[in-house]
Amino acid sequence: MAIAKAERLMNLALCLLGTGRPLTKRELRTSIEAYIEAGTEDAFNRMFERDKDDLRELGMVIDTVESLDGEIGYLARRDRNRLPPLTLDAEEAAALGLAAKVWQQARLAGAASGALQKLRAAGMPLAGAEQETFSALEPRIPAGEAAFEPLMIACRDRRPVTFDYRKSNAAHAEQRQVEPWALECWRGHWYLAGYDRERRAERVFRLSRISGRVRSRSGAFTAEVPGVVAVRESVAEWAGESATGAARIRLRAGAGYPLRARATWTREGENGWDELEIPHGHGLGAWLVEFGPDVIVLEPAELRADVVDRLRAVAKG
Amino acid sequence: MATNAIDRTRRMLSLVTYLRERPGARVDEVARAFGISQDELISDLSVLPMCGTSFRGGDLLDIDTDGEHIWWYNAEATGSSAGEPLRLAADEATALLVAARAVATLPGLRDGDREALLRATAKLEAAAGESAGASSRLSVTFESEGEVFAVADRALTERRRLRIRYYSPGRDELTDREIDPVRLFAVGHTYLEAWCRRSEARRTFRLDRVASVELLDTPADPPPVEPRDLSEGLVQPAASDPEVIIEVGPGGRWVAEYYPHDTAEELPDGGLRITLRTPDPATLRRLALRLGRDGRIVAPAQLADSAREAARAALAAYDTPV
Repeated sequence: MAIAKAERLMNLALCLLGTGRPLTKRELRTSIEAYIEAGTEDAFNRMFERDKDDLRELGMVIDTVESLDGEIGYLARRDRNRLPPLTLDAEEAAALGLAAKVWQQARLAGAASGALQKLRAAGMPLAGAEQETFSALEPRIPAGEAAFEPLMIACRDRRPVTFDYRKSNAAHAEQRQVEPWALECWRGHWYLAGYDRERRAERVFRLSRISGRVRSRSGAFTAEVPGVVAVRESVAEWAGESATGAARIRLRAGAGYPLRARATWTREGENGWDELEIPHGHGLGAWLVEFGPDVIVLEPAELRADVVDRLRAVAKG
Repeated sequence: MATNAIDRTRRMLSLVTYLRERPGARVDEVARAFGISQDELISDLSVLPMCGTSFRGGDLLDIDTDGEHIWWYNAEATGSSAGEPLRLAADEATALLVAARAVATLPGLRDGDREALLRATAKLEAAAGESAGASSRLSVTFESEGEVFAVADRALTERRRLRIRYYSPGRDELTDREIDPVRLFAVGHTYLEAWCRRSEARRTFRLDRVASVELLDTPADPPPVEPRDLSEGLVQPAASDPEVIIEVGPGGRWVAEYYPHDTAEELPDGGLRITLRTPDPATLRRLALRLGRDGRIVAPAQLADSAREAARAALAAYDTPV
C-alpha cells in the first residue's frame, strides 16, 4: 500500500529529524502507529530495517548511537541533513527545470523532480513566463533497458555484478563477472564500462545485450578504477568511426550523399561517375555494400575483396 | 503517473519545509512549484495530518486546506530541524547533474541558457557535496548538428518556414522541401518535427541527415498538430504497413536491436526470424545488402529479388562471375 508506506516513512523521518537525542527502536515501535500494528517482533524488525534503507535512499543521514547500557538509538542530525545554503536565480532555476525533464527512466525522473522539490523548498524561485521559453529543444534520455537501474546502483555503490551477456555476433549469452565503473549514453544507447574479472581487462558492454537479471555480488572491487573511463571512444571504434587509412571509390553521380559528406576529396568524373577518397576504418565494407551498384571500390585491395565477397553472398542468397 | 512511496515521502518532506515558510500558500501555486497536479497535492495534504512526531504525545501536523489555501496551525510541531531543507541524495544529485551537463553540451543551445545552466550546475555541485561524487559514473552525450540546429531553433522562435535538403537513407536520395517546424527533440540523435509542405503531412527529420538548411521569410503556418507521443519509441509502424520477414544468423542479430519489430523468434542455429512492418519495404534493400551472408529477406519476394539484382549489378562492375 503506497499511502500507508509513505505515511509510515514520513512519521519515521519526522521523528528522527525532530529529535534532539537518539531514539531507541523500542521508543519508535511504541510511538509510530504502523509499527504498533506491525504484529510480531520479526515483522517489525524487517519493516524498520527496510524503512531506514528507504530514508537513506532519499538522502537522509541516520546516525546510530549506542547508549551506556548498550541500547542502540537512532537520530538524523540537523547539521548532517540540511542542504547547504544555495541561491539560484530565476534563469538558473528554469535551466535546471528543463534539465530535470530529460529523464525517461522512472527512477531518475523521480530523483530529478525530488531534487527540484528540495531546491524549491529551499527557496529556488519559480520561473516566470519569460523563462518558460527556454531553448526550443526537448532533449530526452531514454533508458528502457531493464539492466539500467541495477547497474546504475552498482556503479554508484561500487559493487561487483554478474549478468548474462550476448556478444553482438554470438548466439548465446555467457555469464560475465564485472566490476562496473561507469554508464554512458551515446546515440541513444546505454553502455557500461568496467573490469571483466575473467578476462582480466577493461570491457565495454551494451545494455541491450544483457539478458536476465543483473545480480550484485558481495565484496569489493579488485581492480583499480581509472580516473577517466573512456566509454564513448571504445564504442566509436567498433562503429567504424576511427579511420585507420583511406579508401578510394567510384560513386554514381547524385548517389551516396553520406559518403560525399565525409569524403576527403572528390573528383567529378565523366559518364555519370565521381571518384572519392573516404576515411577507411572498421565496418566500411558493410556500409559500402548498402549502396549496391552505385559504389565501386577501387582500393585498397582488401576492401575491394571484402565488398565483392559480401555482394556474392547476397547475389546467391 | 503512479508515484512510489519513496518519491512520495521525499515530496511530502519538501512540502513540509515549503509550507512552514509560507502560511496560507495557494494550492495552485504550490502544485506548480512542485510540478504536480492539484489533485496530487490535495492527496498529499490528506496524508500529512496523520504524520508527526507522535512519540512526544500526539504532535501530528495540523495542516488543512479549503481547496484554495493551505494552512498549518502548529508549524512548531516538527521540532528543531524537521522543517529545514534537506540535503540532496546521491541519486537526486546524479539525476540533476548528469542531465544538466548533457543539456549544456547541446551545440544549438542559446548562449544565455547554457551559461545559466553551467552556473546552476556549479552551485549544485557545491551544495550537493559528497552526494555529487556518484554523478561522474553516469554520462550522456546528445548528438546534434550545430548549424542546422541553430537555424531550426531560430525558425521555431521566429515562427518561420525552412527550406531543407534532406537525405533519405532508404532511397539514397536528397530531396528539397519546405517545412514548418513544430519542435526539436533529442532521443540519441536530434530530430526536428515539422509539417512538410511537399507531402502536406507531419514528418520527423533527423538533423544529421539535413544536408543544407535555409531560413525563409515566409511565416511558418503548421496546422494544429499534437506533438508526437515519443514514449512508445520513435518509429511506430501502422498496423496496415506491409510485413517484412528477415532471417538472420548469429552475426545478424543486431538487426533486432536497431529495427523496431513485432516478433523475433529464436532459430536453432542461433539466429533470429524477425517480423517487422514498414510503410515502404523497398527502403530495406540496403539492409538486405548489408547483411550479406549474415541474413536474408524471406518476404516480400520483390524485396529479396531487388537485393539480389542490386548485388549482381554491382558485381558486374568488378568483372567477377557470380
